[in-house]
Amino acid sequence: MRLLNIAAFCFAVASAFLLYSLNYETRRLEAHIQSQERAAQQAKSDIAVLKAERGHLSRPERIDPLARSQGLMPPRADQLVSPDLAAAIVPDSKASVRRVAESE
Amino acid sequence: MWLKANEMQRHATTEGLNAASDRRRRRAPIVNASLIGSALLVFTILGTQILSLGLSSSAHMSMSVSEPVATSFSRPDIIDRNGRLLATDVEAPSLFADPAIVIDRDEVVEKLITVLPDLNAAELRDALSDKSRRFVWIRRGLSPKVAQRIHDLGLPGLAFRKELRRAYPAGALAGHVLGFVNVDNKGMAGIEKYIDDAVGVDPVNSATLSTRAPVRLSLDAGIQYALEDELDTAVRRYKSEGAAGIVLDVKTGEIIASASLPRVEPSQPSATTDAKYADKITGGTFELGSVFKTLTIAMALDEGLATPSTVLDVREPLQAGRFTIRDFHSAGRPLTVAEVFTHSSNVGAGMLAQKAGPDRMHGFLQKLGMLTPIKTEAGAVTPPQLPARWEGAELITVSYGHGIAVAPLQFAVATASILNGGVSITPTMLKYKPGTNARATRLVTRETSSAMARLMRLNVMDTAGTGERADVPGFRVGGKTGTAELAENGRYDKSAVLSSFVAAFPMDDPHYLTFVLLFEPKGSSDTGGQRTASTNAAPVTARLIGRIAGQLGVAPMSVVATQ
Repeated sequence: MRLLNIAAFCFAVASAFLLYSLNYETRRLEAHIQSQERAAQQAKSDIAVLKAERGHLSRPERIDPLARSQGLMPPRADQLVSPDLAAAIVPDSKASVRRVAESE
Repeated sequence: MWLKANEMQRHATTEGLNAASDRRRRRAPIVNASLIGSALLVFTILGTQILSLGLSSSAHMSMSVSEPVATSFSRPDIIDRNGRLLATDVEAPSLFADPAIVIDRDEVVEKLITVLPDLNAAELRDALSDKSRRFVWIRRGLSPKVAQRIHDLGLPGLAFRKELRRAYPAGALAGHVLGFVNVDNKGMAGIEKYIDDAVGVDPVNSATLSTRAPVRLSLDAGIQYALEDELDTAVRRYKSEGAAGIVLDVKTGEIIASASLPRVEPSQPSATTDAKYADKITGGTFELGSVFKTLTIAMALDEGLATPSTVLDVREPLQAGRFTIRDFHSAGRPLTVAEVFTHSSNVGAGMLAQKAGPDRMHGFLQKLGMLTPIKTEAGAVTPPQLPARWEGAELITVSYGHGIAVAPLQFAVATASILNGGVSITPTMLKYKPGTNARATRLVTRETSSAMARLMRLNVMDTAGTGERADVPGFRVGGKTGTAELAENGRYDKSAVLSSFVAAFPMDDPHYLTFVLLFEPKGSSDTGGQRTASTNAAPVTARLIGRIAGQLGVAPMSVVATQ
């Protein structure tokens, strides 16, 4: 009987300790989750700002004058040739064109 | 004897004690089992509680603590057909005050004015005087720089809260199409309103970005910029009061570009409330003039009233009641229907309308969708203004685009339906998904469609054609000019014209339609002092098509010939 009482007492103490540990661990994990969520939220916010900045920097209104200042301009009709003609000029070009077309 | 009796009593007592001890020994396992069972039950209950607490979501728990109050909306991004970003949400600080802890309201107001000069000082002072209030918005959606400057003022009672703010990385590009949002990030016009109505936004009370898929438009940012840039140049070159243009895929109904000048900034809608900033493509109706002859001649061909070689005697002006209809430049000889188109003869168009009669003319325009209101995802298009009756002078004037006012988009869609083989299309601002036009109906025959494509091409190729300056070598452009006097207070103003050019390319299999409009252009050295569409809108169209045809993947004639 005494042995059983002692065992029950030990079990109760162990359970209380386990409960405390679980409680503590749960709180720690919750804090960890919250900190991760905050980090993820901050990362998302940073990504949104970076996306907006990339959009702003690559806007046609900015790119067009830069390209023209480098001597680039929209292609004229006489600058475009068929893949067959391109192949006659540059032997490997037809395969390249086909590869690009397939990849799209 | 006494001893024996005592002995017997002791024996009896010992036996009794032994019996009690035996009973206790027999009961012990039952008691122990009960104790252990009770303990197990208690721990099982506790364990179950812990387990259920562990499994329940923390979100649910927080919901029970405080119910969120929606103060803003998170919105999906808007991208162009190639994935380029046109609108997105970003976090921005918003400034508020707690009047209860503001120490010196005059100091707060005075110092804030130095950073936010447009702040209403009297209003803010009143708001801060009310100590019973614990929350007063001062300015929402600040830039990080301004927020830092306010923070550096070190004023007690002021604080920031992060909110979502709509950003338009491309600035004013396609501003009319995109529309705008209010201070709560709620769509108020254009595609932004469409997103609220049809796609969905999420109410949030913090800066929580949307997880919804972006809205992919039919617009191409590169083509849109080219259109706006060419219109800008045209406004400067021809000293126009405004300009508008559209690029439309005639096969799918996708609007590839749509621009109206002056531009609007989606991020600053309050700065562009004046009527001159209205979207001229969908938000206004105009008497478009001779571009309308495209529809009149298509009607005559489709109804079998004439062929391109049918000859009409256009030497004499047409009389309709007290009105005399004459040609701007009379040929002085009979013209074929093809020449009526290329010479832009009002008399010839009027004769064809008279030959058709009111019912057929009205019925044809009705069939093309010119007489009923249309809409796109960006909103309703201004309904057409129609003549009160379709007889006499009205019938004739309608044939060359007067007495009937329509939105340029509505005209462009009708013309596209004629050129795409003759089937109806639905204009859309969203990227085309196969099957969208599954319910397309035939509006004109294939023969009529081909004949109109040839006539429009002839108008550009022929040196006598009004559209000669719209030609772009290699890209087979066809089109029609239109120069109409603008009506003001019920009278035509001879000094103000609307000059336009509707074009399509490549004309052997029309794929794209452009429609350029210049409002009140002036004569210049480039135009020899003229302000007709053939001298301004046509060359603008040529520059535009020369710039965008390659981007749109249209193969030049040299390539087509070798394939």
